[in-house]
Amino acid sequence: MTVATTWKQKLAGQVREDWAREIDIFETQIELRKKGKVEEKLFAETRLRRGTYGQRYDNGQRHDGEKTQTLPYPSGELTKGPVTMWDAPGMQRIKIPYGKLSADQLDTLSELAEEYSDQILHITTRQDIQLHFIHIEDTPDLMRRLAAAGITTREACGNTVRNVTACPYAGVCSTESFDVIPYADALAFFLLGHPDTQDFGRKFKVAFSGCKDEPCGLTNFHDAGAIARTRVVNGELKRGFEYYVGGGLGAVPYPASLFDEFLSEEELFPITQAVCRVFARLGERENRARARLKFVVKKLGIEEFKRLVLEERAKLRPDERWTSFLKDLHVTDEKPLKPGSELAPGNYPAGFEAWFKTNVQPQSQKGYSTAKATLPLGDFTPGQGRAMAELARKFTGDSMRATVEQNMLFRWVSNADLPAFYQELSKAGLGSAGADHITDVTSCPGTDTCKLGISSSRGLATELHKQLSVISDQLDPAAQGLHIKCSGCSNSCGQHHVADMGFLGVSRNMNGRRVPHFQLVIGGQYKNNAGSYGLAIGAIPSKHVPKAVKTLTDRFVAEKLDGETFQAFVARIGKKEIRKLVDQLAVIPSYEQDPSYYSDWGDPREYTIGDLGVGECAGEVVPLVQVGLADSERELFEAQLLLDEGSSDRAAARAFSAMVLAAQALTREKNSFLGEGVDEIVSEFRTHYYDTKLFFDPFAGGKFAHYFFRAYEHRGEAGASKEGAHQLIEEAQLFVEAAHQCYTRIAGALP
Amino acid sequence: MLSERLQLKLYLEPSAHFELEALIPVFHRVIREQLIKELLIDVVDYSHVPDGPGVVLIGHEADYYVGALDGASGLVYSRKRGGPGPDARLEDALRRLVNVARLLEQESSLKWRFKSGELSLRLTDRLHAPNDDATFAATRAEVEALFGRVYGGSVAIERLPAAKEPLSLRIKAASSPSLEALLEKLGGPPAAAS
Repeated sequence: MTVATTWKQKLAGQVREDWAREIDIFETQIELRKKGKVEEKLFAETRLRRGTYGQRYDNGQRHDGEKTQTLPYPSGELTKGPVTMWDAPGMQRIKIPYGKLSADQLDTLSELAEEYSDQILHITTRQDIQLHFIHIEDTPDLMRRLAAAGITTREACGNTVRNVTACPYAGVCSTESFDVIPYADALAFFLLGHPDTQDFGRKFKVAFSGCKDEPCGLTNFHDAGAIARTRVVNGELKRGFEYYVGGGLGAVPYPASLFDEFLSEEELFPITQAVCRVFARLGERENRARARLKFVVKKLGIEEFKRLVLEERAKLRPDERWTSFLKDLHVTDEKPLKPGSELAPGNYPAGFEAWFKTNVQPQSQKGYSTAKATLPLGDFTPGQGRAMAELARKFTGDSMRATVEQNMLFRWVSNADLPAFYQELSKAGLGSAGADHITDVTSCPGTDTCKLGISSSRGLATELHKQLSVISDQLDPAAQGLHIKCSGCSNSCGQHHVADMGFLGVSRNMNGRRVPHFQLVIGGQYKNNAGSYGLAIGAIPSKHVPKAVKTLTDRFVAEKLDGETFQAFVARIGKKEIRKLVDQLAVIPSYEQDPSYYSDWGDPREYTIGDLGVGECAGEVVPLVQVGLADSERELFEAQLLLDEGSSDRAAARAFSAMVLAAQALTREKNSFLGEGVDEIVSEFRTHYYDTKLFFDPFAGGKFAHYFFRAYEHRGEAGASKEGAHQLIEEAQLFVEAAHQCYTRIAGALP
Repeated sequence: MLSERLQLKLYLEPSAHFELEALIPVFHRVIREQLIKELLIDVVDYSHVPDGPGVVLIGHEADYYVGALDGASGLVYSRKRGGPGPDARLEDALRRLVNVARLLEQESSLKWRFKSGELSLRLTDRLHAPNDDATFAATRAEVEALFGRVYGGSVAIERLPAAKEPLSLRIKAASSPSLEALLEKLGGPPAAAS
């Protein structure tokens, strides 16, 4: 038996063919980039679209507290994007649609964290998993191993549709209109790689919620948000969605606008597709800070935006995938592992009751509860990942959910099993109570790893957790339920706008030195799907933030009216009052008196913003034509490799494929509805580029197009000789080059 | 040792003075003053994760961390890439581990002591070093040879049972020399990483 020497060999046959091909393509792109054959920005967008991100210090510079040091990476000047050194460790974002993980998937993720990363898996505020400090050359194998477990990293980052999130209680929630998961699941894979989602100027985020009042789906700050609704139409109960568009957080949060009070389930996909097309067409591309859909909706107004979307919808070519999934909405149903039961009174393990109070909720299905593993800052080890996987196998089946509060939710825990479940969770170090309560502070990665981080959100969150945990038992229940969220900068990845107390990292000059601060943001509403956004009150020195939290919390408990929420309390006492608190905390000792104020939480280096880099969240805007032409070049390269290996037939097929890709890239500019079929591509190319002579070379005329047409006529013929394949590759190269020149000529004339 | 990726751990003596956070400024100083001849990138604090990697010194070829992933605190040398050829990998890892352990023992702010004769080894490369009998046999032979030479005497090796984990061995040497003596036996502080 041949021993596999590569992961590609070992996993042969275990990965979906199309996913395997995509990863092979990416691996080829890596090799081409190392040879200098792929342009830097194009490679950056390519890897971002596979979820492969940069991290802090990847420009090769790091401030050590006294001076900026150069990090002499072995690959010298080779980069993986603008100002991004090749060997610099990066972050791999792994999309987990609506946060659902199976036990096997969690095992695989744990293996990857152990082998390629820093021994930690991280759940994000969008139900993704992130691994940090990954080398780019490890990413193809990492992706293969994920793909063998049924996970793709495609379009996890970049100007694409990001992870589709959904309420983690969908399907087991007592307040939902219906289970949104079959819709979220089908839409996630419908939009993945869809031609109409490949040409955005910025990211696009989708969220589903089963009900309006609870916060779980947070639809209000998504580009497209769908809240499950039912309505009786002609005596029949119909399913649909309250559909919102144009929400977003970022530096300036925008609440989503109501697009349709009741969008039928049949129209969910085509309308979302039409929204994507309008965004691709009208979204800003030059000014990245204004490139989200929210700015398009704001500029046009919702009525005009809706008109444009409906106009686009009318032109769409029907796609059976819009409704085919409706034939079986139970395909995503989960089967509990055990029968439902009641929790018996009796001797519970130490700590169980406190954990039960905060981490367990009854499901709508009698006899079952959901139970949360509280993950500090969303982090867990590979060993804990495996322990959670075993818990799922033993108690619940494959029904885990990563949540936006950065915890792991287990569904279908039979009530009688709760004490045993808790005991095993505790053995793995995951039995802390307080999930989604005041001690469970949410944070983005911040200055730990993000190039845009200004102050240490994770450092602050850790300190708040520590200090609040000591007093949490004594806290009034109203205070215990408060949400605290921290972002390292104004981009709001920590979702600070919708917290009771939000903090965003800023920097201030004080006493002649830079001092880390956090803006206090209050007045946010987490309920009602993130119903409203807080406003910044003022900046507090980082080391005073725990005191601010304590003071505000104490005051809320002391002065709140019966049943009054924190948001209502803040509105009642007024932001001027809160501002006084901020002002009182603004003064810090001089550096000579106490230098600790001049460094950030968890980082003894003297604070600086010198390590800020260029963020990659905005991706690179690369015209779609260029992406297609780059794909065709890559196909050509692979054709040559196949020829070298002696596979003439496959080399010839790949050479033709290169021509098709180039023709498709050009023709899409003229026909945005162009499909994937070769016959259509050839026909449309002939119509738009050959018959019009647009493709004609000034000296060679239509010669290079003839190569394409001839290759089309003879496609699929077996028995290509080595010479024949070689000639076809040469002709394909000339055709692709002609496509480049054609694009260059017409680029200025394109609308 | 076929596995390029490996983790070698030295265990800490239990101490009333153990404060993991005290390591953070030490690791930052290791970077600032380039106290070890490797490409070091950053320090990450995971002390909030129970039984986690603790505080990690991230490097290009290898990380060092003081944590308790296996339930007991210790310093781990975690090689990720590069390094010498297969025949020299284990010895190189031991040398680098001992070097940093010695540095930490000398750090007055920590007051730490390592059990120099107790280590664990994990091969974090499931492709080239799967957790099976063949890998264990080959690894055991290599460990016995190296540790016998460096520590003298025989070495007790226990394979830790865990099907889904990487191959993990607990190693108890016949002696517990000082880290200085060990390092000298291994050829002194390592030069820049190969």
